[in-house]
Amino acid sequence: MKKFFKSALGHPYAVMVLALGVTALAVLSVVSGFRMETNLDTYMPRTHPAFVFSDEADERFMIRDAILVAVEHPDSVFNPATLQKLIDIEDDLLALEGLSGARVNSIHTGDNILATEDGLDVRRFYTQAPADQEGADLIALAVRGNDMIAGRLVSQDERTALIIVELPESGFSRDLYDRIQRIADKRTGPETLHIAGRPIVEGTLAALGPADMARMGPLVLLVITAVLMLVLRQPRRTLITLSVVVFSTIWAFGLMSALGVPMYSVSIMIPVMLIAIGVAYAIHLYNQIDHFARETPGAGRREIAENAIMVICSPALFAALTTVAGFVSLVTSQVYPVKYFGLFTAFGVFVSFLLTMLLVPAGIMAFGNGESRKAAGSRGTRAERIPEHGLGARFADALKARPRLVYLAAAVLVAVSAFGISRVWINTSFLANFDSKSAIVRTDAFVNKHFGGTSSLNVILEAETPDTFKDPEILRLMDELQTGALELENVGDTISLTTYLRRLHYSMNAADPAFDIIPDSSDLVAQYLLLYEMSGDPDNLWKVVDADFRSANITIQMKSDDTRTIGRVIGYVEAQADDFARLGISIRYAGSGYKSLIFSDLILQGQMSSLGLSVLIVFILVSFMFRSPLLGLVSTIPVLISIAVNFGVMGLLNVPLTTSTALISSIAVGIGVDYAIHLITHYREALRALGDEERAARFSMSHTGRAVLLNAAIVISGFMVMVFSVFPPNRQVGLLVSLNMLTAFLATITIMFLVLRSLSPRLVKEFQK
Amino acid sequence: MTVLNRAILPALMFCLAFAPALGAQEKTALAIMMAVYQRPQPVDMSATLTMTLVDSKGKERPRSLDQRLASFGGVDKKIMVFQSPADVRGTSFMNWSYEEAGKGDDQWIYMPALKRVKRITSDGKGGSFMGSDFSYDDLGARHPSKDSHVILGSDTVAGEECWMIESKPKDPGDSYSRTVSWISKNRLVGFRRDYYDKKSALLKTLSVLETRTMGTYLMITKTEMHNVQANHRTRMEFTAIKLDTGIADEQFTERAMAKGL
Repeated sequence: MKKFFKSALGHPYAVMVLALGVTALAVLSVVSGFRMETNLDTYMPRTHPAFVFSDEADERFMIRDAILVAVEHPDSVFNPATLQKLIDIEDDLLALEGLSGARVNSIHTGDNILATEDGLDVRRFYTQAPADQEGADLIALAVRGNDMIAGRLVSQDERTALIIVELPESGFSRDLYDRIQRIADKRTGPETLHIAGRPIVEGTLAALGPADMARMGPLVLLVITAVLMLVLRQPRRTLITLSVVVFSTIWAFGLMSALGVPMYSVSIMIPVMLIAIGVAYAIHLYNQIDHFARETPGAGRREIAENAIMVICSPALFAALTTVAGFVSLVTSQVYPVKYFGLFTAFGVFVSFLLTMLLVPAGIMAFGNGESRKAAGSRGTRAERIPEHGLGARFADALKARPRLVYLAAAVLVAVSAFGISRVWINTSFLANFDSKSAIVRTDAFVNKHFGGTSSLNVILEAETPDTFKDPEILRLMDELQTGALELENVGDTISLTTYLRRLHYSMNAADPAFDIIPDSSDLVAQYLLLYEMSGDPDNLWKVVDADFRSANITIQMKSDDTRTIGRVIGYVEAQADDFARLGISIRYAGSGYKSLIFSDLILQGQMSSLGLSVLIVFILVSFMFRSPLLGLVSTIPVLISIAVNFGVMGLLNVPLTTSTALISSIAVGIGVDYAIHLITHYREALRALGDEERAARFSMSHTGRAVLLNAAIVISGFMVMVFSVFPPNRQVGLLVSLNMLTAFLATITIMFLVLRSLSPRLVKEFQK
Repeated sequence: MTVLNRAILPALMFCLAFAPALGAQEKTALAIMMAVYQRPQPVDMSATLTMTLVDSKGKERPRSLDQRLASFGGVDKKIMVFQSPADVRGTSFMNWSYEEAGKGDDQWIYMPALKRVKRITSDGKGGSFMGSDFSYDDLGARHPSKDSHVILGSDTVAGEECWMIESKPKDPGDSYSRTVSWISKNRLVGFRRDYYDKKSALLKTLSVLETRTMGTYLMITKTEMHNVQANHRTRMEFTAIKLDTGIADEQFTERAMAKGL
């Protein structure tokens, strides 16, 4: 490989033209074949058994994600104008393409099942808005008397009415969201309209993340440019380095486009990653170029370039390979967009290594080494110019003098982190991705405060025998399960077959509260249900039980979609599974809330395995590079510490593990080991060349330490830009990558460096062999 | 949603009328529909109805019930008693519907498990009939003056020469945007009807599967409603039909409901 780069030195202009040419081709490929994939369903692994079951159950019980429109009036919704407005909003919504044929639930569409003196009254609360307040008051009276409606479709304080629109299809587009929002704007005043529900949250998330990342990209480029100017001190070098990262980004997207892989929301992170990571190789190359030019005054362009390639090629190659490994480890993910993200970023990283090794030397060959560095060098003191004295060298000496302090500090850090790790929790909440002050979170909180909850879990009960769910014993057990669930934190409501049966039993017995229970005989159950089928909307029934009465669906509504809440409910249900199993009933789960829980679990499991995989690959690569498993082990010290600190800090600061934060760690391993590779390489080379451990330590810490510091500073400044993102997951990604780089850098130059130095006798022995 | 609506009889039992007034001359669409509506009907009837619901996966749920109905000067009375499935056997519904405009139906249910008759009041008409693909409106006889009718052309259904007549409701709030009926030119009876939803998409198709001549009446004894959007089907079959046997008014009481037919 070194030969290849050196032979390229003879044709600097050809190299540059070729790079530009390939970039132009890549641009052409992007322009002609680019497409964006926004349907969230493509993220789901369809063949997973839990998904297959959930999809089947969704179909069986018509379980659909719903959009919730809460209409809030300052005083009471029970006035003619607001009651009419509910009808208007429903008409508007159903007129939307994509919502035609949707089931709508509201006090306008709902049936009132009412006990009368000698029987039962089934009628709608209203079909046309009342002409006067008197009529509205009658409707209010009817709603108050029906606890299947009061608190479910109208809030207890009667200031808010809910319109529930079940999406006919699972797909939900940003466009549909915008049109619903326009309807809400049009119908606002004096009522306030709040739009909530899982499709809204998912839709906003899918739109907000990429939009934010697209804004962040240029900002990252700007900051990196500024930092490069500061570090490289030459516009020409800055331009070449920027070309490397911009070209590699374009190549990666060009390849994606050429292979027909669409752009997913996670792909938007590729440019940020490549810009921040890709500049590192040039930093090391220029560091060596300056060092050599200083040490060898009068050296020619070719000599300088060849030396830089000779010294830097192999550590940079392995640094690139480990970074590539970190990204490639993401292919263990079950989620295709994540796989693609890993693969194409890995490709981009390797391209940026290749382009650095071609374009930087080509720049030297074509335009010379520039002037500013020489000037800076002559201005500096002697100590600055000779790497064996100066800050780096003093730091190396200081470490050597206090090894116990360093080991102790590292031990304390790891211990504190271990405590933090024990407190890490996983959150698969979609809503947690938004700012607590954002409109979507406040709307959700508003609806949750007044109604059963915006999130739901479907508990699917299944038996072998038909008519099982007409058996009073089983129905009572279901009823107990629901009553107990309501005691759980954040559980707001439950609906199942028993809800309808209790209401019918109560209404058919002159609204006597003593009859608000499950009827005693299965025949009576069957007869009530026949009555409901004939007088109510039978579709309501088929949402809670199947036609054979062999399986039933309990919907548990929750006021939060976070994993703790869903996990608590599932834990509670599982604890009763034995009682149901004794009666021949098995329990499974369905619904989009459950699916995303499983989905996130899959991502996290995948992340944990790819984290392990990336550490292993790093160990093998570095061992191979140094032909020494021992040095391979040494190089993993900083990444292991940074992993510990990463999760430790998350636990201590109560930052949950999410799909985006989990993605970081395995990537960070690949990037974080780079510092170790560079430092070990040059320490070993210096030890071989100088034969003196102290001098080798001082030299490598000043020379390579500087490059590593700059490398870390640039990557961190690039990722820190994301802290200014308006989108919390992007902020977390930025902060965590920065934290990982900082710990990896600090651990490399402290504890790892000390361990490395303690191994110097062995290294020397190896040279003698 | 109503429990029992105005008589299943008129719609399902399209009766044959010898309509000399309509002879051979050209007829308007409205005149044809009026002729179908105004055919003479039996005064009373008893029969066993087997209703089979077929879901989209082809799973069938059969139900069988005995029914008795009769007209008494402006009041149509009907009792239906379930025979199967076993757990609803003996459950019966009684419905009185009045010709008098604006007067709602009276309805009662008897549940053997409760051993009591309960009165049910309700308002809806557009809902599904016993969870089937028929709505109560589909089963009732719709007065032709509620729609405007156009002859679309001629077609042959089950060997019968038919007019295809399109009917659009005058009230835009109606549950269908339009229906198309195939009316036999010879017998002035419907053989098929397509129902279109509010978005003008085909929703349901009603087909006549079997007819029988009983005395002076042509009885339709087997029909199927196919909801093409949900891919559900409901088949209705009448057996043991007895017409004009002189069912007395005393047969439509709460006591009769509890006793069974």
